[in-house]
Amino acid sequence: MLSVRKLEVTYHRVVTAIQGVSLDVPKGKIVALLGSNGAGKTTTLRALSGFLGLDDARITEGSITYAGRELANQAPHRIARMGIALVPERNKVFDNLTVAENLRVPVGKGTLEAAIYEYFPALARLRSREAGLLSGGERQMLAIGSALMCAPQLLLVDELSLGLSPLMVHELVERLRAVRLALGTTMLLVEQNAQVALEIADYGYVMENGRVVLDGTPERLRSHEDIREFYLGIGGTARRSYREVKQYRRSRRWFG
Amino acid sequence: MSVPRASGYFRTSYREDQRLLDTRSQRSWFVVFALAMLGFPLLAGTFALDLANQVLLASIGAVALMLLTGYAGQISLGHAGLMAAGAFTAGILFKELAAPFWATVPASAAVGALLGLAFGLPSLRLRGLYLAVSTLALHFIVIYAGSEYETRRGFSTGVVIDSPIADARAWYYVLLAFAAAAVLVSLNLLRSRTGRAWRAIRARDTVAGALGIGVQGAKLSAFVISSALAALSGCLFAYYRGFVSAEAFSLYLTIQYVAMIIIGGMGSILGALLGSVFVVLFPYAIEAAMKSVGLAEQLSSLLFAVNYAAFGLVMILFLVLEPLGLVGIWRRVQDWLLLWPFRQKPL
Repeated sequence: MLSVRKLEVTYHRVVTAIQGVSLDVPKGKIVALLGSNGAGKTTTLRALSGFLGLDDARITEGSITYAGRELANQAPHRIARMGIALVPERNKVFDNLTVAENLRVPVGKGTLEAAIYEYFPALARLRSREAGLLSGGERQMLAIGSALMCAPQLLLVDELSLGLSPLMVHELVERLRAVRLALGTTMLLVEQNAQVALEIADYGYVMENGRVVLDGTPERLRSHEDIREFYLGIGGTARRSYREVKQYRRSRRWFG
Repeated sequence: MSVPRASGYFRTSYREDQRLLDTRSQRSWFVVFALAMLGFPLLAGTFALDLANQVLLASIGAVALMLLTGYAGQISLGHAGLMAAGAFTAGILFKELAAPFWATVPASAAVGALLGLAFGLPSLRLRGLYLAVSTLALHFIVIYAGSEYETRRGFSTGVVIDSPIADARAWYYVLLAFAAAAVLVSLNLLRSRTGRAWRAIRARDTVAGALGIGVQGAKLSAFVISSALAALSGCLFAYYRGFVSAEAFSLYLTIQYVAMIIIGGMGSILGALLGSVFVVLFPYAIEAAMKSVGLAEQLSSLLFAVNYAAFGLVMILFLVLEPLGLVGIWRRVQDWLLLWPFRQKPL
């Protein structure tokens, strides 16, 4: 469904943020994009959703093909109208609108609204509340709900678990599973929390320093020594400084 | 969609959710208000009618600015210029083509819409202070063009227009109809997808884009509709005064309109209406206050200065102490009445 080939993104015409990134998101699957801070996950997501221009960045090489159409350097609202909806990392809801109004922003009338309340029952009792007064978890539900109101074929979710309690993250994962089951929505999750991402994904990619360094099924990734040590916190010789690991050990292992 | 202000109201359909008047009590109060508005000229004197007409004129302009700034989040310092454009369109069409009232009104709105489109274009790339400055240019260009027309055609003291309506009472009903139409159109727009898109781009234009809203189109539509409404208000002003002059549309007028939406309360049509009442009546209230304490004669030479100073002070006080404006105070009063004898809503 979505195919990214040898993607290169450059900021301010000189700084290369990602290079040679290739990934596939098959129809009906949930794909996770893992990586630490600064790995290039969000830049990849922005390239897919058309938001690179905001940061004076552009795609300088490679291609993004979605259902046979080229997406590179298209305007965000055009990409959204093609059936790709983005749930951003932060500032994801309209604080000055009520929950119901937030859900109706992308559409003329609330045709899917009732279905959204079924997936996220917590939103139903908050429908008249201004989104600015919602908790972090409620905002995340509303952001996903708003994106689903566009009836997307592909849902891009940036940092689903950011700032949320484990219980809330588990709840959201369950809701996304239910959405996929009911609507068959394809999803690309960008996550730092590998535990969460591998719990729900059918396939995963790991990014480091602007490149995809590893990919495979959740089982394969979970059993990989580096993923276990640096993302899942299992195994390894001793507890290391995360920064040291990032600067030295990990790069040595992955890049030789 | 209105937010329920108390418990016990249940909406079971999308239609009910979108209703402008939600409850029986709201509908009853609306009927009382409408009757009071319609009956006002029967009881009011000439001076009170003139004040009411000024308020109605101002309310159309304030609603126009509220749509653009209060809802779509686009700052404009060019609304006095747009009103001038509407007034001069009426004046020029009347003088040059002897155009009637029914032709000049839509023509003024069309000119306003075109200017809105042209001066909305910078909003696609500019924000905040930079956008404000670019809209200020509109003000100066229109005022310069109007002054040039006055000078070249020999109307050095202004363009005189014969109004088709002479009676202040008749004017009241005409202006009430235009103001009611402006409010109704605005409320309906705000309930539609266009209105939600404006409010969405005001809050977060990037998220709006991610949800398929054409941010540029939404910004331009806000500029066009708001400018058309402002120009319409200018056209009506010209007919009401029977006179068009560039001097009537100073930068102070822009500041007064910005004050109306700040004092009234951003993001609320009711706020625009309350703000226009407050700002129009404020100088008269100051004068009345000075008369009541016997200072009017001693300070007659300083009346304008006192007015300006008091106006500035009120603006600052509202910005610091009541950022939600008069509409914020009104909502607190409503809450207090609804909750009495309790003080807080339960969880």
